[in-house]
Amino acid sequence: MKTETQKLATPARPLEMNVRFDKAQLLRFQSLIALFLLCLALTMLSDKFLTVSNLWNVLRQISVNICISIGMTLVVLTAGIDLSVGSILALSGAITAGLLKNGIELPTQNLFIGFTILGAILVGILCGTFLGALNGISITRFKVPPFVATLAMLTVARGLTMLWTGGFPISSLGDTFLYLGAGWFLGIPVPVWITTVLVLIAIFITKKTRLGTYIYAIGGNESASRLSGINVKRVKIIVYSIAGALAAIGGLLVTARLDSAQPNAGISYELDSIAAVVIGGTSLSGGRGSIIGTVQGAIIIGVLNNGLVLLDVSPFWQQVVKGLVILLAVIIDKANSSDE
Amino acid sequence: MNKLWQKGVLGVLILLVAYNSVYFKKLDEVKATTAGFDGAAYATTFWSEKLTPAMEKGVDLSALLQQLQTNPDQAFATHSHALGIGNIKYFPVKGVATVKNVRENEVQVALDAQPAGTELTIATEYIFGNAVRDASGQIDINAFTNTMDFNTVSAELNNIIRTQVIPPFKGQVKTGDRVEFTGAIELNQKYLNFSSIEIIPVSLSVEKQ
Repeated sequence: MKTETQKLATPARPLEMNVRFDKAQLLRFQSLIALFLLCLALTMLSDKFLTVSNLWNVLRQISVNICISIGMTLVVLTAGIDLSVGSILALSGAITAGLLKNGIELPTQNLFIGFTILGAILVGILCGTFLGALNGISITRFKVPPFVATLAMLTVARGLTMLWTGGFPISSLGDTFLYLGAGWFLGIPVPVWITTVLVLIAIFITKKTRLGTYIYAIGGNESASRLSGINVKRVKIIVYSIAGALAAIGGLLVTARLDSAQPNAGISYELDSIAAVVIGGTSLSGGRGSIIGTVQGAIIIGVLNNGLVLLDVSPFWQQVVKGLVILLAVIIDKANSSDE
Repeated sequence: MNKLWQKGVLGVLILLVAYNSVYFKKLDEVKATTAGFDGAAYATTFWSEKLTPAMEKGVDLSALLQQLQTNPDQAFATHSHALGIGNIKYFPVKGVATVKNVRENEVQVALDAQPAGTELTIATEYIFGNAVRDASGQIDINAFTNTMDFNTVSAELNNIIRTQVIPPFKGQVKTGDRVEFTGAIELNQKYLNFSSIEIIPVSLSVEKQ
């Protein structure tokens, strides 16, 4: 009898392990599976989707979102949030365009300071970094919740953009600057090259550096990180500064692509960015997620946007669909967390 | 020693970047090469020499609305102008219409022949945007050194409409009058909407009944 029971029980274990293995694999590749299914559906529904020009167009468009989303991932990994990236993007783009186009006039000194492309870009990125650092300082030094601190910065940066531009676009920035957003290098759009380099740097930081380890540790358990000697405040300020800098680079790409800095650029970009992060599997509670996941999430959002446009879905419905996709991603994430 | 080297290299790098980032000039020299733009003067000349003749050659609004119903692509390709790459296009239009209602900010009019569901108004209060400037098809953005100047042209053209075109019209128009007009309308090529078409007037004359 005993032997019979053992015989019956033996095959059950490998089967269970197999099921677990399959589920784990499924969870690991859920973003890729979703992307594949989305592409498959769009290929069947629109003959324009799977064309080389459209796919390059999608990649060029998502470059900006990936750029912002890398920073957002780092912020979310520390259990924070940054709602100001869209406004910082607009301000940095406007400052770069304004300096490039008009320079700075100092009438009392009878001095005109002109900026080269390099100079204007550097000032734009520094501006984004500075505003990001201010976010970090508000959050760490003054204990303002990230949601409120970055919401305030969203308004401040948008207001500064309006003041700087006077509410008008700054256009005609020259062919060299346009090349950054609309040019091609070795058959690939320049923004895709720039974003690829940023992604590789971000992967290196999160996987191979002490800063990366600290970011995950803070998001996993902030108190424990502090007790183990990590300078939590400093790491957070650095993370928000990086997010600001990346938003500024996104602003440069948008401005260069349009050959114009629009005062209302970047509105609701923070939502696309958060969506990319969440769909990519980064936990909003912090400590869990990856840059690669975010890239996948941004591609899904980009393909979804592109598909909805190709299918001639009304912009109002597009917002509804995107919102539902984000909600679904969070629900799946929560369900997975509970399982674990 | 090693750190000193690092700092030295960093310092040289920063200096190199700074040197290649900015340049300095005397402000009066720069100003001399870029003389100030007189938007009001430009708009006045543009109004009389280019805009008014272009609007007089505009498409008959009644015919345009019919064509938009039957062949919108051709209507946009033939008659519209736009400076941007979006779906918003501007048409220079003319026609004669009957006043249906005089409101505080607009005058509702009806053409003798217009498609069902179309509502036309002549703006008489809020004159903003680039409709008139862009609908003319007579302006080239590349002729301007910066967008501020380009946008100033719109603002000044709208100012001429506000101060010279609308007051005499508004003072005498009443329900039932026949109005001869030229002006500009704005339509979204992708989402055509005939239920609220606003004419930004360039010329208005009332034929009393």
